[in-house]
Amino acid sequence: MPIQWNRRAALVISAAGMLSLATRLAAEEGRLRLAFIPQENPQKLLGDIEAITGWLSGEIGVPVEGFVTIDHAAAVEALRNGDADISFMGALPFVLAEAEIGAVPLLSEVYRNAPSYTGRVFVRRDSGVESLADLRGRDIAFADPISESGYLYPLAEFMNAGLIDGPGEAEAFFGRVFFAGGYQQAMQAVAEGLVDAAGASQYADLLLTPEQQAAVTWIAESEAIPSHLVIARPGVDADLQRRFVDAMMRLNEADNRDMLRYIYGPDGYVKADPAAYDGVRDMARRYGLLE
Amino acid sequence: MVIRELQGLLFMACAGAFLSFGPTNATPAKETPWLPDAAAYRLTLFLGSLEPLPWNDVASAWSDTHRNSEFSEGALAWLRDTSDVDTGPLLDTIENKDRQALFAAATQLVALRIEEELDRALDAEDPATAQQAVRTAREIYRAFADGIAAADPGAARQIGLAWLELNSATGSAGVLGAGGTPADREAMAEARTAISDYLSANYLVDEFAPRQILNTLPETVVLTGRSVEVPPSLPPGSDIFDQDPLPLLVLNFEEQGIDESDLPLVAYGDMLFDSAQIFGSPARDLGIACSTCHNRSDINQRFFIPGASHQPGAIDVDGAFFNPVFNDRRDDPLDIPSLRGLRFTGPYGRDGRFASLRDFTRNVIVNEFGGAEPTPFMLDALLAYMLEFDFLPNTLLTADGKLTGQAAEAARRGEAIFDRPFAGLGDRSCASCHVPDGNFLDRQAHDIGSAEPAYAGARAGAFDTPTLLGTVYTAPYFHDGSLPTLASVVDWFDESKSLGLSETERADLTAYLEAVGSADEPYETFDAENTAFRLAFSELTTFASTLDTLLPRRDAEHILLLTDTVATDLSADASTMSNLTGRPEVYALAERLAKVGVAVRDEDWEAAEAHWSAFKDEARLIEERAF
Repeated sequence: MPIQWNRRAALVISAAGMLSLATRLAAEEGRLRLAFIPQENPQKLLGDIEAITGWLSGEIGVPVEGFVTIDHAAAVEALRNGDADISFMGALPFVLAEAEIGAVPLLSEVYRNAPSYTGRVFVRRDSGVESLADLRGRDIAFADPISESGYLYPLAEFMNAGLIDGPGEAEAFFGRVFFAGGYQQAMQAVAEGLVDAAGASQYADLLLTPEQQAAVTWIAESEAIPSHLVIARPGVDADLQRRFVDAMMRLNEADNRDMLRYIYGPDGYVKADPAAYDGVRDMARRYGLLE
Repeated sequence: MVIRELQGLLFMACAGAFLSFGPTNATPAKETPWLPDAAAYRLTLFLGSLEPLPWNDVASAWSDTHRNSEFSEGALAWLRDTSDVDTGPLLDTIENKDRQALFAAATQLVALRIEEELDRALDAEDPATAQQAVRTAREIYRAFADGIAAADPGAARQIGLAWLELNSATGSAGVLGAGGTPADREAMAEARTAISDYLSANYLVDEFAPRQILNTLPETVVLTGRSVEVPPSLPPGSDIFDQDPLPLLVLNFEEQGIDESDLPLVAYGDMLFDSAQIFGSPARDLGIACSTCHNRSDINQRFFIPGASHQPGAIDVDGAFFNPVFNDRRDDPLDIPSLRGLRFTGPYGRDGRFASLRDFTRNVIVNEFGGAEPTPFMLDALLAYMLEFDFLPNTLLTADGKLTGQAAEAARRGEAIFDRPFAGLGDRSCASCHVPDGNFLDRQAHDIGSAEPAYAGARAGAFDTPTLLGTVYTAPYFHDGSLPTLASVVDWFDESKSLGLSETERADLTAYLEAVGSADEPYETFDAENTAFRLAFSELTTFASTLDTLLPRRDAEHILLLTDTVATDLSADASTMSNLTGRPEVYALAERLAKVGVAVRDEDWEAAEAHWSAFKDEARLIEERAF
C-alpha cells in the first residue's frame, strides 16, 4: 500500500522545515533553539514543547523555539550543524557529542534526590535465577544498544563478574540477546516469560503492573550512572546560555515545579558537573564507542 | 533510553500478564496511553457488547478523543493523517447499526493498520524510522493481545518473540557513527511473517463467526467452538483511580479513641468494603470494590466507565456491563452518593426504595455487581462498618444545625431564606425537607421535578432527600449530577419553583449552603510521614487482625476471603511505596498472609496459626523499620 501523506511524515517534514529555518534563526542573535528527543507520543511532546518554550521565553527574555528530532543522533547532528543551540540528551550521546563536536554540559536531571541512577538485571522471582552466572545460555532483553542503563551498564556487570570478556562476547554467553526497544518492552518480555532476564533502569520495574512487579526481582546492579542532561553546542552566546541555565534552575522553585512535567518530568535540575560523566566516558571507551 | 520514561508509572496492560495471578487487587494500574485507532477499537468492542448498543457512543469512539487521551485528535482524524487504510466500511457499519459487520470492519481495520506499520518498518531506510514503525505496530497489536493470550498462549509467546526479533533486527544508528549496527533484513522479514501470518488467519478473514460478546479472540479459536474466557478489561478512557485529594474518613469509634483491631466485626466489614472478591465478574476481576466508588465513605469524582457513566462520578449500576441479568435496559446512570452519616440517611437508594440498609447492601452485592449471596456474617460486618461512617466535623454548625458565630454574615442571611416558606414550594421552606436538626434531610422521597417523566403520566420522579452536610466536596448535584455547583442548585430552585429571589438573596442562600456543606478538614493530608502507602499498610494489617477472631473459630470461608483480599492488596500496594528498598519485605509479608490461606485450605490449622503469628511479628518489624 503506497504511503502518501501521514502525520509521521508531516512531523519529520515539519521538523526538517524547521531545521532549515533554524539554520537561519540560530544565526540571528537573541534566539534560542531547543532540540527535544521524542517520547512514545510525539504529539504530546509537541504540546509540551509549546508550554515549556513559552515559559522559557518569558523567563529569558528572548524567543525560545523547540523542535522534535527523531532520536539522540539527530539531536547531536542538529547541534553540530547549528540548527539547535541546546538539546536534552542522554549521558552516552552527550560524551560522544562532547568528543565529536565539543558539546557543553549545562544541567543534569535529578530523580529521587540524586542526579544519577543505576541499571539492573531483572529476572522473575520464580525463575530460579539467583546470580548472573545462572544466565549462561539463557535469553536476555536489553532496552537499546546505545542505552546506558538499558544495555551498557547492565552488560558491564557480566564483564565485572568475569562472565564475559568484552561487549562482543555477549552473544556467546547468552542464549539470545534482544533489543526490545525500551525499558517497558524489555521488562514486559521478562515478566511475560519471553526471556529470562532484562537489563534496564533501576526504576524500570515500576513500568510493570503491581502484580508483575511482585513477580519480578533483580540480581545485579550497576555502578551509579549520571542522569540525563541538557547540553549546548559550543559557541552559544555566553550571556544567553547563562540566562537559560538560570531559568532552568528556577524550575526547582515551588512555583515553577509543575513546568517540569513538560520536559520529561524529572524532580528537578542541578548544574552539570562535567567530571560526573567520567564514568560514562570510561564506559564508552570500554565499548569502543570513544577513543 | 531514558529514566524519564518511568515518571508516569505506566503499566502496559498485557492480558497475558494477568492470567497467572490469583485474586484481583483493588489497586488500579495506570495504563500506557493507547494510540487513537487502537483505543477506538477497544471502545468499540466494549460498547458493542452492551445491550442496548449505544451506537452514538460507538460513533464518538471513532470521531472524538477518548477521555484523558494524550492525543489531540480522535481515531478518524488520526487515521486520515497517518494511514491509507479505508475507514469507509467501518463508518458504513455504524451508519447501518450492524453489530456483526461493525466487529468485522473494526477488526480488519486494526489488523490492516498493523500490516501498514510493518510495511513501513520493512521499507524504512534507517533504524530509527524502522523502530518507530515497529513500536507503532506493536502498540496497535496490543488491541488484540488479551484475546490471543487467553486463547492461544503458544501463539502469544511466538508473536511476543517475533516483536523482540523484529525490533532487534532493525539495527541501530548509534550516535555520530559510533555504536551503529546494520539492519538484518532477513531476520526482519522472518519476524514480520510470523506476525502477519497470524493476523491473516485470525483477524483479516473475510467473515467472522458471530460473537455474543465482542472480543479479541482469534478467529481460528472461535471456530473450534472451544469456550475461552478473555479476562475482563475496561476500555480506554475508563478511570477507577481514587479521587485526588482523597476524602477524609471519619469513623465514629475512631473519633472516640477505640482501636479498630478491637472491633473484629467492624474491621472485617472494613475489609469487605475494600474487597473486590465479594462481587462477581467483571467487577471482581477489575478490582472494583465498594470503596472504588465510595472513596473513604464519600464519593469518587473521577470514576468513569464509558457506556456506563455519562460523566465522571456517575455510574449505571443496573446496566449491561456489571450484571447482564440485572440489566434494566435503561440508560440511567446516577451520580455516586456519599455514604457519610449513613445510619442517619435511610431509606436507601436514590429513590429511597430500600428501608433496610441490609437489603440495600445485599442488592448491591448480588444484583448490581453479580456477586455470590453474602453470608449473614458478611452482611453483619459490612453494616457494622458502614454504620460507623460519620459526617465531617464542621465548626460552622451547631449540633442542631444552626450556624455558629464563625459563619459569615452572608450565610446568616442565607439561613433566614432557607427557613422562609415559599409559595412555589407549597408554602414550605427549604428547611422543611432539609431539616437542620435532622442532619438536613427528612428521610422521605419527593418529586421536585428534577427528572423527566419516563413515560406520559408517570409518577416516578421522586428522590430521597439528600443531606446537605459535606456537600461542598461532592459536586456535581442532583441524582444525575446535572448541576455543577451549589449556586446552580439555588438557581434551579429559584427558577423552577418561582421563588423570586434577588441576586443578593441567591448569593446569600448559596453562602448558607456552602457553610452547611463545609468541613473543618475534608481531605486526607499526606506528607513524608503519612504516605498513601502507610495508610494502606495500616488498613490492611488492621483487616488482617480479624484473624485473631476467625482462626480460633476455624471459620475457613471468611478467613480465605480475607487472606485472598488482603494478601493481594498488600502486594499490589507495595508498588506505591516511595521507599522502593522496602518493597521486598512487603512482598514477603503478603506471601506470609497468603500462606495462612494456603494452610487453611489444607485444613492445617496449626500451620495457619504459626503463619499468622509470624505475620504479626514481621508486620510489626516492618512498621518500625520502614516508617
